[in-house]
Amino acid sequence: MIWLVMVLTGLINFIFRISMFSGFRNIHLPPSFHRYVSYVPISVLSAIIASSLVTHNGHEISYDVGKLVAAFIAVACALLTKSVSVTLIVGLITVWII
Amino acid sequence: MNQKEFFLGVTAMLPLLLGVVPFGLVFGVLGISSGLTETETILMSSIVFAGASQVVFVQLWAAGSAYFVIGSSVALINLRHVLYSASVAEYLKKLSFKWRIILGYLLTDESFAVSIKRLSTHGESRPVHFFMLGSGLTLWLAWQISTIAGVIAGSTIPENWELAFAIPLTFIAIVVPLLKNTPTIICALISCLIAIFGQSLPWNTWIIVAALGGILAGASIEKWKPRK
Repeated sequence: MIWLVMVLTGLINFIFRISMFSGFRNIHLPPSFHRYVSYVPISVLSAIIASSLVTHNGHEISYDVGKLVAAFIAVACALLTKSVSVTLIVGLITVWII
Repeated sequence: MNQKEFFLGVTAMLPLLLGVVPFGLVFGVLGISSGLTETETILMSSIVFAGASQVVFVQLWAAGSAYFVIGSSVALINLRHVLYSASVAEYLKKLSFKWRIILGYLLTDESFAVSIKRLSTHGESRPVHFFMLGSGLTLWLAWQISTIAGVIAGSTIPENWELAFAIPLTFIAIVVPLLKNTPTIICALISCLIAIFGQSLPWNTWIIVAALGGILAGASIEKWKPRK
């Protein structure tokens, strides 16, 4: 089953990528499309970051202090260095130490 | 084969691999630790071939999410490729079908970023499709090799190294530099809140609700108060 889902999502990706130069050139993107799409990466990635740091089971919130601290240090690191590798290494080392 | 354009594309991509390779490693590790087989993890990098959406796919799959949630999350994350496709289309009009298929498959954030500069400055005078091929193939190869390396690491590194935590860290490294103004910050905050408090929603639909909530919040604020 995973193969079917994987191939279908791969196909959707491929269709998006060739959508505008595949011959269907008459598709017109509404101007607001660009505005909405520009927020997709921020929104999706933030949701994943939050859900891996804090969980809520309907009644109470639970979190791991070490991971929260490491995440805050990673945010500072990303602001200062803008480097994926540095942020990743500093964040991992923090969570190992705590 | 225009080797000069091809290698210009390869060279333009090299600095960006610093961000891509750790991400590929992390994805490989995650695939294995989420219970996918080595073959599934490695082939996903060429079938889906889109970093963030592969991570979301694997996490949602491991959590036993509904297939439509996995499919629509991946589609939502990759919707931006339609914009890239539209931007490069006018430079690729004269290419054969085969070329368009190959360049379309290789279109990613990174290859778009390096190619659009070259296309807009030399699109008329040079065979820039070789530039796109060079940059696209370089990224593709780096993504495949780093995934394989991650899969090998994932099968050997003990679990208490907390490597799964590399996912939120990688995403923090990607998102934080994008938070430049009020709409982007509000978008991130709304999405985080919905993601935390929506976790008991059925079939893991929290991810879609959180994503749409953040997008709507950001885009509406921008509409009232346009970016300068």
